[in-house]
Amino acid sequence: MIRNLRELYQYRALLFALTGRELKARYRASVLGFLWTFLNPTLNMVVYVLVFGVIMSSSVERYPFFLFCGLIPWVFFSSSILGGTTSVSDRKDLLTKVRFPAQVLPATVVGTNLINFLLSLPLLFLLGALYGDWPSWHLVFLVPVLLVQTFFTLAVTYLLSSLNVAFRDLQHIVANLVQMLFFLTPVLWNLETIPGIHRFGLDLSAEQARAAMLYLNPMAAVMSAWRDIFYKHAAPAWQPLAAVAAVSLVLMWISSGVFERRREEFAELV
Amino acid sequence: MSAPPPDAIVLKNVVKSFRKTSRRREITTLKTELVRLLTFQKRKTEPSQLIQALTGVDLRIPRGKTVGIVGRNGSGKSTLLKLVTGIYAPTSGTIEVHGRISALLELGAGFHPDFTGRENILINGIILGMSRAQVKARVEEIVEYAELGDFIDEPVRTYSSGMFMRLAFAVATHVDPEILIIDEILSVGDEHFARKSQAKMNEFRHGGKTILLVTHALGTVESWCDLAAWIDGGKVRMFGDPRQVVAEYRRAIAAAEAEAEKTGHSALSAPGLALPQTNGALSATTGARLTALRLLDAGGVAAATFSADAGLTVALDFEVPAKSTVRFNVDAMSADGRLVFSLAHDAAELEGRGSVKLQVPRLGLADGVYEVLATATRAGEPPAPPHRVALTVVGSAGAGVLKPVHEWAVERAGP
Repeated sequence: MIRNLRELYQYRALLFALTGRELKARYRASVLGFLWTFLNPTLNMVVYVLVFGVIMSSSVERYPFFLFCGLIPWVFFSSSILGGTTSVSDRKDLLTKVRFPAQVLPATVVGTNLINFLLSLPLLFLLGALYGDWPSWHLVFLVPVLLVQTFFTLAVTYLLSSLNVAFRDLQHIVANLVQMLFFLTPVLWNLETIPGIHRFGLDLSAEQARAAMLYLNPMAAVMSAWRDIFYKHAAPAWQPLAAVAAVSLVLMWISSGVFERRREEFAELV
Repeated sequence: MSAPPPDAIVLKNVVKSFRKTSRRREITTLKTELVRLLTFQKRKTEPSQLIQALTGVDLRIPRGKTVGIVGRNGSGKSTLLKLVTGIYAPTSGTIEVHGRISALLELGAGFHPDFTGRENILINGIILGMSRAQVKARVEEIVEYAELGDFIDEPVRTYSSGMFMRLAFAVATHVDPEILIIDEILSVGDEHFARKSQAKMNEFRHGGKTILLVTHALGTVESWCDLAAWIDGGKVRMFGDPRQVVAEYRRAIAAAEAEAEKTGHSALSAPGLALPQTNGALSATTGARLTALRLLDAGGVAAATFSADAGLTVALDFEVPAKSTVRFNVDAMSADGRLVFSLAHDAAELEGRGSVKLQVPRLGLADGVYEVLATATRAGEPPAPPHRVALTVVGSAGAGVLKPVHEWAVERAGP
């Protein structure tokens, strides 16, 4: 794992160059260009607000803002996972023609989406301001939460990208799993108002169901933390985040091992 | 600092095998794959499903030399380059590379069509191993070299293929490598740029860089390389003086073609199959032996240069220890390795020394340099190494291989 990350650092010039290029390339041929960075999440939010805020009339206060606090980090996660899974298998041009450090590719996807996330933060603050909600000092927690989410995303991406080279069904499986996880993660709904679970042989109080959610789904813990920072202006609970960090560390260790072992056959299989 | 090792690249018993088909064609299901993953089993690969691209290559590329690699399609040349470059990892064996490598395997790897030439120079330079600062320092030089004018600030997708190649070549050669790996790209762009790229290559060569070059232009190998390696059937079949290697390679191709003509099939019909052995490598233990091969003109005087209309006599001196039937064979090969003719004669009851003459009243070949090969073989024995002599034909004024007996007639139908 250390070797993997060190090599990634060693090739940072390449990583930055490719990330910069991806960012520029994404909207280059379009008329509105860079504006799409803001338009995409906004339109995305409008759709969800229409369905869950208006039609199903969610009881959450300032629902559009509430939704946006979760949606932006979620898009960072899901885009990274979806793009990252095919990041190695799609780059036949680089892998078979030049000596190319493959571990830069998944990192480039995560990096690109990270920058996109940071760029859409002002939009979030703007939306908050419309509700008279200004960011508080709790914004300092943005750094550790973002670190945890990025590290977790990177670990998952390494694993998926290396497996997808030999087993291409994975990209379709992942697309569906991410969709499923979206609804299992408190993005559209509020974790604090979920009821207890008293079926399927389970007998969990609301409190227990909440804890189970937080500790079983790493993204749930991260999403709650974002809500705490942006929406509730509170310090996020550190225990679930620490658990995610620990899981990420183990996952990164496994992912790096798998990636390292499979790297030699990338050029032959892509 | 210790002195750099004398060899830039050392390959020791390098084997590379590939799985025969892509995994999709194998019976891989989610279930079997999961079971395999969960039980930590290695994927079973039977030897029959593997293609051995290289079957034990030993090669030393001395520092500062230009080495040409020749061989048929599918013989493992490109695999060898990819191994040296580090794109593939060897199945077994070791590869040592001393020095910074730049590989010109395919030009323009990682070019993005929507970006301008200038932007692509930066990213391509970094992909090829330069730092951002190094590329920035060389951008102007590269732009100037590529000669794209105002197009350098246009998106690459608007380029013609020649312009694309010129830009890619310019970046790849300005990386300042110590070892240059080239796969068939010596002629880039139009006449002018091709000359320029040729000059750049010469600059590398004289600048003490090590160059490893795969090409089918055998003339280039002969005239331009210090050493040549012939890869055949996944092995180094011959390594040494480029002229000798190329000559031997041509002979093997011609032999395979001759075999194909006679039997309808040969090593040539299957990609990657080793070419038949030529006689050069076999030791002569046959009962019949040639002691001399001479070309004589109409006056019976030994000569090397003939006119197309002149007569040619091929004289063979032989030595047959025991009475037997001996087959004499005279072949002519053109400079590009094609078999021009192959004539054989069986002489019964030969014994002792003697001489046999093949008379060709009119040579009838077009201008060029040919090679005449002769063997004497006792029935039922493998042929001995052929005797060879060069034959130059001049004054036929015409292209091709033949100058047939001919006559022009113009008939005027009146005004």
